[in-house]
Amino acid sequence: MATQKDFSGYTGTWCPGCGDWGIGVAIKSAFVQMGMDPSSVGVVFDIGCSGNMNDVLNAYAIHGLHGRSVPTAVGMKLAHHKMPVVVIGGDGGLYGEGGNHFLHASRGNHDITLIAHDNSVYGLTTGQVAPDAQKGYKSKSTPQGMIEVSLNPLALALTQGASFVAQGFAGDVTALIELIKKAIHHKGFSLVNVLQPCVTFNKVNTYQYYMQRIYTLDHSYDRTNYKLALEKTQEFNEEKYPIGILYQSDRPAYHEQIAHLPQDSSLRERPAFRDFGLLIDDFV
Amino acid sequence: MDLFLWKIGGEAGFGIMTTGLSFGKVAIRSGYHVFDYNEYPSLIRGGHNTYEVMISSQEVYAQKQDIDLLVCLNKDTYTHHKHRLTDKSIVVYDADEFTIEETGFVKLHIPFASMKKEHHVMQIMVNTIALGASLALLSGDIAIFYEIIEKEFKRKGEEVIAFNKKLTDLGFNYIKEHYSEHIKPVLTRKQEKSKMILTGNDAFSLAAVVADCRFYAAYPMTPSSTVLTSLAGWQDKSKMVVRHAEDEIAVMNTVLGASFAGVRSATGTSGGGFALMVEGISFAGVAEISVVVFLSQRPGPATGMPTWTEQGDLLFAVNAGHGEFPKIVLAPGDIHEMFELTLKAFDLADIYQMPVIVMSDKFLSESHKSVNKEDISNLFANYHPNRGKLVNAPGEGKYLRYKITDDGISERLLPGAPGAFYQVNSYEHVEDGHTTEEAAPRIEQVDKRSRKWQTYLDSHFKAPRVYGDIETADAVFVSWGGNKGPIIEAQKMLDAQGKKTAYIHFTHIYPMNTSIVKDILSKDKRYILIENNAHGQFGKLLTMETGIMIKESLLKYDGRPIYKEEIVAKVNT
Repeated sequence: MATQKDFSGYTGTWCPGCGDWGIGVAIKSAFVQMGMDPSSVGVVFDIGCSGNMNDVLNAYAIHGLHGRSVPTAVGMKLAHHKMPVVVIGGDGGLYGEGGNHFLHASRGNHDITLIAHDNSVYGLTTGQVAPDAQKGYKSKSTPQGMIEVSLNPLALALTQGASFVAQGFAGDVTALIELIKKAIHHKGFSLVNVLQPCVTFNKVNTYQYYMQRIYTLDHSYDRTNYKLALEKTQEFNEEKYPIGILYQSDRPAYHEQIAHLPQDSSLRERPAFRDFGLLIDDFV
Repeated sequence: MDLFLWKIGGEAGFGIMTTGLSFGKVAIRSGYHVFDYNEYPSLIRGGHNTYEVMISSQEVYAQKQDIDLLVCLNKDTYTHHKHRLTDKSIVVYDADEFTIEETGFVKLHIPFASMKKEHHVMQIMVNTIALGASLALLSGDIAIFYEIIEKEFKRKGEEVIAFNKKLTDLGFNYIKEHYSEHIKPVLTRKQEKSKMILTGNDAFSLAAVVADCRFYAAYPMTPSSTVLTSLAGWQDKSKMVVRHAEDEIAVMNTVLGASFAGVRSATGTSGGGFALMVEGISFAGVAEISVVVFLSQRPGPATGMPTWTEQGDLLFAVNAGHGEFPKIVLAPGDIHEMFELTLKAFDLADIYQMPVIVMSDKFLSESHKSVNKEDISNLFANYHPNRGKLVNAPGEGKYLRYKITDDGISERLLPGAPGAFYQVNSYEHVEDGHTTEEAAPRIEQVDKRSRKWQTYLDSHFKAPRVYGDIETADAVFVSWGGNKGPIIEAQKMLDAQGKKTAYIHFTHIYPMNTSIVKDILSKDKRYILIENNAHGQFGKLLTMETGIMIKESLLKYDGRPIYKEEIVAKVNT
């Protein structure tokens, strides 16, 4: 049985107090509690402070291009679907640069888990605005305030077909561990949007800010109710942040719908095709 | 008559392409070699489509200027091609629909419009009547076309098959009854080895399956789209996973993810889509991920002329990707080379763990050529993938994905292997994959990656093939890619005129072994660079690599392929 230590690479380089520390611990704990080890899980890291978890977390991993972690993970999953695939990225990469991939991966219901670090800023490039910041947010790149309205990742994932939509908080690691476990366990596209204070560059969305505005979805909440979930995603406009699973359905994952993909082995493990005569006949 | 050119034209959307290919199939099944070329606008309806097929008893590599039989389903076909008619040409047309004032060739009227009315057929079926007429004029065996109809319409039932046969007879019998004096022995049936007829795109697609490529992702873009649609259509049989993703950026990164996970993976596109993939190529370079990219060129810049041909992306492909990293660029010149080099590309990508680009263009991608079926079957049967240093289990000690080696190539461990883990990294990294910004490991890793190029040049680079004898040649052509066909055909014409030529045909475009190339280009000869672009990009690459400048050139960039007659004219200037 693997331990947290087995999953631990270098020590992180994040700022003291950064939400990444807590999210990092939550991810490793979830992996350990699920009985995984660094040889049994695939992780794709985006580029950014969150993506810098690449040297901290041991796994079969790709530290790819900014914004492209989702399609990279989709390829990894299709080639060898037996392996759980987790994407670790920020709101800049996943919702900004990679926004198109995010909505199409939701549509496809690819069986990958996104752990999105939602801190409303680009930390690694020193504090420019991220697309899910609040309208009017002042940053180095938007000194007069962001003109656009906020991108709503939960609503976007939900309306485009994601079958697991959840929100966590970096300040509550215990609850986050449970959410990540359920997200990885879920078959289909799962989003865990993690509200994460950036102590260095975001002076608005602080720990205190979130502590006052988050609340936990309790047992009475029906997460199979799409319309209810859609309503929950809109509370973000009133600066209310539900924590927990907003929506979950058992829609089949993309790879489960490929008729010719052997479900009990994988694309990588199936025998090679050698009956070329079948194709040659089209050309005579 | 050993080189016969049949050409049909009509309005876009009326089945000209299908008819042209059926004609080609009749020719190969009758024992002949063919090469075809088609032109169509970037429209689905309303433009003008043409399809021409060269027929020969010998292997044939390109079309020619003179049209021997022109089938005009509208007036545009005549107007656009009358300059290519000679006193031996036959023009088939409907004199009730339009008149042809000019004389000097044979004009045969067939009342297509009234036949269409009388038999209540759609315009698309007039092609079948025209095909029947063409077969009669060329002494074709109508039974061969019947077989093709039976295969094509099998699912639609007996009634449809019988109706199509009837339409064929209509055209066939009209010629026999009215114009028997014009019948020529072009398609007289003879016993020959079985042939296949396919395009460059078909050859790439088939070879990808044979190479055990298991994942192909693409976004449609002319002229590469038929690779996506063929591979997608074959999935039930081949079990390949084919994904039409949201854009070329997603395509490239998805392919890299699949390749990392251990399956041979490829993508295909044209210039605009390739531009979007370029960051991913750089990623594949530093992270050392195997990938095959099929790049079928069309005239740019930007949207350019989508359905026409050009070789304008060579230097772009060679230089694709920011930063410095090794890649391999290959360029097949015909269908057979497309098979061979595609198979090789998948091996090279695995052996050297780097991007390999296979270049094509609209001319090679969409022109059909006949090849001997047995040759291809043998090529396939004898091919076995070489996956290089791919291993299933880690060896002794800590596994190092980017271990420094003499040949520059490190062992690649299949993800999921128990007892190990590693990351591939788009950042500069140390041997185990962890990110670094230190000077010494940076230099070590850059040097390691660069050494893969030297290993390739020593082990797998192939010197250009020379057609003809450079020593005795009056003119030496230097070219690459699909120009091979017109050049070889031009050499035959020049030979008949008593002019000796040689052709240096490059397929292993980049990197190149400079001493071999320098040597071959340094004779005291009249070298002529031939390219289907405006800037002479391959010439520039040769200068960059060897310092040699080829002074004379034939460059064509009007969207059309090079004609052999243009090459002959160049030599004779």
